[in-house]
Amino acid sequence: MWFWANVTGSFLEEDHSFNLDEVSVPEIMQILTLILQIAILLVIVLLHVAYATYFERKIIGHMQVRMGPMLVGYHGLLQPIADGIKSFFKEDVVPAQADKPLFLFAPVICLVTMLTSLAVIPFAKGWVLADINIGLLFIFAMSSLASYGVILAGWASNSKYTFLGGMRSMAQVISYEIPLGLSLVGVMMLSGSLNLTAIVNSQGNSFSSMYLFPQIIGFFVFFLAMLAETNRVPFDLPEAETELVSGYITEYSGMRYALFFMAEYIGMMVMASIGTTCFLGGWNGPFEVPFFPPLWFILKVYGFIFFFIWIRATLPRYRYDQLMALGWKLLIPLALLNIFLTGLFKILVH
Amino acid sequence: MKVHYKPKRNLLETIFQVEILQGMALTLRKLFSPAITRQYPQEKPPMFPGFRGQHALVRDSLTRDSKCVACMRCATVCPSRCIQISYDEDETHKRIINKYTIEVLRCVFCGYCVEVCPVGAITMTELFEYATYDRDTVFFDKEALLDNWDAFIAKTGKDPAYVNPLMRPRGIFESSLPAAKRLKVPEDWTIEGQYVGPKARPSMVGLPTPHTEKANG
Repeated sequence: MWFWANVTGSFLEEDHSFNLDEVSVPEIMQILTLILQIAILLVIVLLHVAYATYFERKIIGHMQVRMGPMLVGYHGLLQPIADGIKSFFKEDVVPAQADKPLFLFAPVICLVTMLTSLAVIPFAKGWVLADINIGLLFIFAMSSLASYGVILAGWASNSKYTFLGGMRSMAQVISYEIPLGLSLVGVMMLSGSLNLTAIVNSQGNSFSSMYLFPQIIGFFVFFLAMLAETNRVPFDLPEAETELVSGYITEYSGMRYALFFMAEYIGMMVMASIGTTCFLGGWNGPFEVPFFPPLWFILKVYGFIFFFIWIRATLPRYRYDQLMALGWKLLIPLALLNIFLTGLFKILVH
Repeated sequence: MKVHYKPKRNLLETIFQVEILQGMALTLRKLFSPAITRQYPQEKPPMFPGFRGQHALVRDSLTRDSKCVACMRCATVCPSRCIQISYDEDETHKRIINKYTIEVLRCVFCGYCVEVCPVGAITMTELFEYATYDRDTVFFDKEALLDNWDAFIAKTGKDPAYVNPLMRPRGIFESSLPAAKRLKVPEDWTIEGQYVGPKARPSMVGLPTPHTEKANG
């Protein structure tokens, strides 16, 4: 898999103004390889998403002293595939009063932005589709755009529950995007880069040099803001099922519902990947795995996802004003304090 | 009554959100405890004595017919009026049943018909999985009820003379019950209004007897 870095690196460095007459055969090959890589990544990530739902149902089931899915396949192992096939063949209902083009397009916005974020995540040394220098900024931009899809879905459905869900999502994203960004400023200051590969490299290879330890406040803020950004319990107000039926996805059915679901899980994975790269040392682990370098990365990401699920099985939802108070009165000051302390530390050390 | 509030959290507990951590510890512990789920269609629930399931007419082993004497008590006591009986009399005034139907969709499964039956003809078996897509299969006539009994005996392997002794009318002492209902029940079995044991008398349980009532006027 050495070619991941080589191909993408050279592809980005070269001046590639596409003039059809001048496109040479190697360039076409490069583009085709890139498309193949994207396809492989997409398939692997979607399979992980499918089994993340299984993982979640099983973990929550056992935490609630139930068993979770048991019937389709051995211990329900084929359940995600059955769910996928079912949602694919279900009728796609569009409400008569809905804004049809927006209604149909909103889940696509959600999913595409989330999938685009995957391009900049380094799964292992050199295993990154686009090793760009503004990786973190790119991911922030994309996760904000994903909430644009949520808001549009809520608005276009023309129903009060979806509209309330969309409005809540808007307010929540505005409140929590700020602490999310600020909490990573400390990491940027320590590593001196926005490139995710560079951030991992600057953390070194040992356990104690992970940014988790110098940036423990930043990690705390990041973790809470991450929960809120991905609309997970206890911040799942946009789809609060006890109050808003299921919030912004109330009117969706079939495949479009599944698209929102996939977007949510890919969002979880992207946020977990950022947490892994920025605080837990990315793909570095106790020892090098031969043949499959991203193993530690994947284990760490699944550790994060287990935390997401664990919290979902334990905590009730925050009230709306509590959500706002936590974001504005606790997380933003804490993140600012963290930046101040990090800066002070850097001045004193150097 | 004095209300005991939880002691107020101190600053350290507030900062580290001790209660959230306690809750998380609980869910993590439960993750490794065995599930209490019963995988129903494969794993049947345990049956308890006195379970009120599908209705059946007991098939008498001598006559190969029902024990019913058409006394109409079950139809009279039935609160949902789901039992319909009609009968003729032969020259010795013995009642011969023409029709005995139970409309299960109206039945409330109170079990009064079983309690009140003086000969133990109607019972409620332990079968409960007979949901269908049409009404006719759960409208039981006499033959269907007798077949229910055969199916129950075949399925559970119970003694064909089985009568559930717990289905007895309440408020009546065992000595006053008809012979078919005077069956041995566990001594520790208690239900409101049930007097257990052949020796039970009104005076023994502190109830007025005809004598005391006469004395009080």
